[in-house]
Amino acid sequence: MATQASRTAGRLMLSPAVILLLLWMIVPLGMTIYFSFLRFNLLMPGTEAFTGFENYSYFFTDPAFWPALVNTLVLVTGVLAITVGGGIALAVLLDQPMWGQGLVRVLVIAPFFVMPSVSALVWKNMLMNPVNGLFAALARGLGLPPIDFFADIPLASIIVIVAWQWLPFATLILFTAMQSLDREQMEAAEMDGAGPLWRFVHLTLPHLTRAMTVVVLIQTIFLLSVFAEILVTTNGGPGTASTTLTFLVYMQSMLQFDVGLGSAGGIVAVLLANIVAIFLMRMIGKNLEA
Amino acid sequence: MGEIVLSQVRKSFGGTSVIQGIDLRIEDGEFVVFVGPSGCGKSTLLRLIAGLEDTTSGTIAIDGHDATSLPPAKRGLAMVFQSYALYPHMSVRKNIAFPLRMAGISAEEQERKVQAAAKVLNLAPYLDRKPSQLSGGQRQRVAIGRAIVREPSAFLFDEPLSNLDAALRVSMRQEISELHQSLKTTMIYVTHDQVEAMTMADKIVVLNAGRIEQVGSPLELYKTPANLFVASFIGSPKMNLVEGPEAAKHGAHTLGVRPEHIDIVAEGPWSGTVGICEHLGSDTFLKVHVEGLGALTVRAGGEVDLVHGAPIRLAPQPDKLHRFDGAGEALAKALA
Repeated sequence: MATQASRTAGRLMLSPAVILLLLWMIVPLGMTIYFSFLRFNLLMPGTEAFTGFENYSYFFTDPAFWPALVNTLVLVTGVLAITVGGGIALAVLLDQPMWGQGLVRVLVIAPFFVMPSVSALVWKNMLMNPVNGLFAALARGLGLPPIDFFADIPLASIIVIVAWQWLPFATLILFTAMQSLDREQMEAAEMDGAGPLWRFVHLTLPHLTRAMTVVVLIQTIFLLSVFAEILVTTNGGPGTASTTLTFLVYMQSMLQFDVGLGSAGGIVAVLLANIVAIFLMRMIGKNLEA
Repeated sequence: MGEIVLSQVRKSFGGTSVIQGIDLRIEDGEFVVFVGPSGCGKSTLLRLIAGLEDTTSGTIAIDGHDATSLPPAKRGLAMVFQSYALYPHMSVRKNIAFPLRMAGISAEEQERKVQAAAKVLNLAPYLDRKPSQLSGGQRQRVAIGRAIVREPSAFLFDEPLSNLDAALRVSMRQEISELHQSLKTTMIYVTHDQVEAMTMADKIVVLNAGRIEQVGSPLELYKTPANLFVASFIGSPKMNLVEGPEAAKHGAHTLGVRPEHIDIVAEGPWSGTVGICEHLGSDTFLKVHVEGLGALTVRAGGEVDLVHGAPIRLAPQPDKLHRFDGAGEALAKALA
């Protein structure tokens, strides 16, 4: 890409992809913004009219809005904490030489390949069901009353399910980073008198910060839009106990058929995602610089 | 104190035997160099002494105590690695202080020792930098600093200069030698570069295929190599080796003569033609094709003016000939 001609050619070659990606992003966003300023209910076709910020004021004053916002943030932070913590632990374990290493690694990655609705159903019906579930059977075996997970601790249950799905991703990224840790550094620390715990704190953890940043940033993007797990298990309930912003938008546009209100909620979710992204980049973005 | 005694040390990885029964005594304050071609086991031997690998059998005693099963940190040795192995997220100060911190030494004492080490190694201006902001030579000095502050009974160097450029290698070589002179601590130094071995060592240990070929001072190895391997490994350029009738004339299977022990004389017994001439300024290395002997390397003075294809007659210095038997072992010096 040295000459003027090759740079121009490069731009020309790239432009179809760039333009397609731009349209892909800008058209839905533009339409959502447009709908969010309309009174637009699917049950009353032909009555669309410009209403200004009315949809937004309805959305913000919706009794489910603040619980949904808090639930969203709790879900994201909860899953991040479990996956990063568990991911580091699993990465350390997988890094140990052991028999059947290859098979164990494949098994650890496996949950990532199960689609969200399926894994949520498996958790709901086979593990967390208060009558037929494995956990209930275990509890009864110990003489304890079985927990009705989705009625008593709905949000925590969803956090566990989502964390189970994302743990392989975090493990994979962190484990890969772990393998690039210089063995001589570890040996130097060993000679310097650092025990396993100190080596972990002073060498492994600092080495993993960049990978942890990647895990947090990528997972946040996807966790803000968790939907299938909620729909399949609790439907946002009981009450608003497991309603997130994403699910609230779904309820308003698809259950109440209010496209205008749903669009306003969607734009709020976009803003929230950007605020979270700015905070994250401020806090941990510097780890990504080489 | 830093006396290290290896007895019958063996190491095998799986079925492959890497170190095959080594007996070696390293005196306190000695600068010992392990030298040999790649894969000869010299780094493994160093790691066995450091405790980073377990011996398969045999014992390692440090200062008279059996250290064979001691963990690395308990052996009182410090190691400088080939890649320097600095901790990338810590400043130079923290890198050097790390072993002190692990030993639970007070902050003031740490700072005092770090400053002292920085002064010895000219690192004072860089104490707050990260390793990535340092040049190769500076990183090397930080690694040495981290070793010094522990005041170990012996230093272990694993090919510490191989990542440096040629000029820096020479100056670091001298710095390490000076460090040894001032600290008087035992140092074990691994290298594949026989020039480093010759210039730095009090005692060279030549290793080949997991065995010790010869132990001795640099000049001993140069003057009286015990076998063909040592003869061709020590000395640069390599010793010329001649087999056949010319060797038989001296009662040997192989005759060795170093390039610097061949004179260009008008009536020399060997006649040949000049091949490549390498002019170094101080010396000239000639590749001479000698009839019946093959190609010989000859060291001549810097002023020699010979061109490719010139006829030439050579004479080996008779008292500097090395004779080897069919198994490659050295025979007694040729009689003049």
